Amino acid sequence: MAEIINVNRISKNYERKIALSSLSFTVEKGELVALIGPSGAGKTTLLNMLGAIFPPDQGEIVISGKQIAEMTDQKKRAKKIGMIRQQFDLVGELPVIHNVLAGRLSDWGVMKSLVSLLIPQDKDYATAALDRVGLKDKLYERTSKLSGGEQQRVALARLLVQSPEIVLADEPVASLDPARAEDVLELLVNIASEEKQTLIASLHSVEYARKYFDRLIALKNGELFFDLPSSSVSDDHIKRLYSLKEHS
Amino acid sequence: MERNWMSFELHKRKILSLILGLAFAASLFSVEWNSELIHNGGLTTAKQIGLAFFTPDLSGEILILALESSWTTLSYAAAGMSLALIIAFFFGVAASGVMVSGEKNKRLIKPFFRSQLGFMRAIHELVWAWLFVASIGLSPFAAIFALAIPYGGILGRIFADMLEDVPQEPIRALEAAGASKLQALWYGYLPMVRASITSYAMYRFECAVRSSAIMSFVGIGGLGYQIQLSLDDLHYDEVWTFVFFLIILVILIDAWSNQLRKRLIQ
Ligand SMILES: Nc1ncnc2c1ncn2[C@@H]1O[C@H](COP(=O)(O)OP(=O)(O)O)[C@@H](O)[C@H]1O
Ligand SMILES: [Mg+2]
Repeated sequence: MAEIINVNRISKNYERKIALSSLSFTVEKGELVALIGPSGAGKTTLLNMLGAIFPPDQGEIVISGKQIAEMTDQKKRAKKIGMIRQQFDLVGELPVIHNVLAGRLSDWGVMKSLVSLLIPQDKDYATAALDRVGLKDKLYERTSKLSGGEQQRVALARLLVQSPEIVLADEPVASLDPARAEDVLELLVNIASEEKQTLIASLHSVEYARKYFDRLIALKNGELFFDLPSSSVSDDHIKRLYSLKEHS
Repeated sequence: MERNWMSFELHKRKILSLILGLAFAASLFSVEWNSELIHNGGLTTAKQIGLAFFTPDLSGEILILALESSWTTLSYAAAGMSLALIIAFFFGVAASGVMVSGEKNKRLIKPFFRSQLGFMRAIHELVWAWLFVASIGLSPFAAIFALAIPYGGILGRIFADMLEDVPQEPIRALEAAGASKLQALWYGYLPMVRASITSYAMYRFECAVRSSAIMSFVGIGGLGYQIQLSLDDLHYDEVWTFVFFLIILVILIDAWSNQLRKRLIQ
């Protein structure tokens, strides 16, 4: 399979603190990668740099052969990279349908997006996506009235409509109770494999990471701790990853 | 360094409070506390006015006049507010800096528009009214502009503050989904501030009705004008009728505003 992400010795500092130091790895198209590691390991920092929220201090990120620093057109970038975080990402005051159709904003002009707030445009996209995440009946509900798990499904529906090649998910289920967390995670992984997307998700839970992902990248203190297929990750690996004493 | 600055701030506040306290005390001395404060006939007049409260003039003629004047007052307030909302929208969006990217641009744009909003509201609507009457003469437009400018300044300022305080996660997410600045305004900023700005604008509309009532001296008629006429004729019972209509107007707007707010927040 073709390489889609190439991370080459990237570093990032916050004032005196090192968030990531000289990290390198590559991801192939269609891979499902879980990012694990103790809190403060640098997972969010890495995902934000992959999503071009901010650039690395040193090193380079290449997406499909193109420097991420050169992908300045936000609309084109949205076709390539999509992000999902915790449920605060939605506009609670809008009806569900508009939060979902926001995934079309990269294709729409200013007029069409304005008209759509009155008469929803490309409505089929929204209904299909909401059907896929099991929220067909909530089309016109106010988003803030939905539960945390439902809101995260709406965010998934937006991502379905946006349909990027790479999906970056930062703790997508952190604020959900275990049962719902697993539902949403399963949905995220299933959608990614059906749509042939490349998925990189940071997770608190090693258990979920092993269960749903092909490959685990572990970070600790801003460095790569291990990068293994989930089947070859042993309990000892995990113990050392989360132990406080170990300094790698 | 930081601490020094903090304690200086604290001192500054204490000194300011002291100066304000002294100013208030001084102002008490400057009032001449003698019988001239309330003129001799004053008490009798006050009694008459007070009694008239219980016997407002409810004759058909006065009621129709009051209704007409209420309509005039309301329509000028509405016209002024509409203009104020347009001013507030454009200046508020500009002054919030949400449409420009880059810290440097923001630092340039924001103070520029904020100071213009500051200028509009620094001058009271009655002063604007004088200025407009002096320049365009006694005309309803004088009253409408006089209302629109300071109200636009106040609303624009509040609107800009609200836009700046919007939680950033949903906006970032919209931008990550490929939304332009303008699209982020429609889909993020405006829906998020809609309920609070509507409820604040309704409160301002209430204030505009009261202002519009007393602005009758620039020649727009209305409740204030009728109150003044009745006062000159010493018809205090009519005065109260008009005052009651003004109160009813404000209460009606308040009820409408509650209705709107409930619908927006639901
Ligand atoms: N905005 C910031 N300012 C200063 N330090 C930060 C900031 N964001 C993250 N850090 C630091 O960078 C390190 C990595 O953080 P983060 O990427 O959020 O880790 P994770 O997501 O794995 O918990 C942490 O030590 C954190 O304290
Ligand atoms: Mg994090």
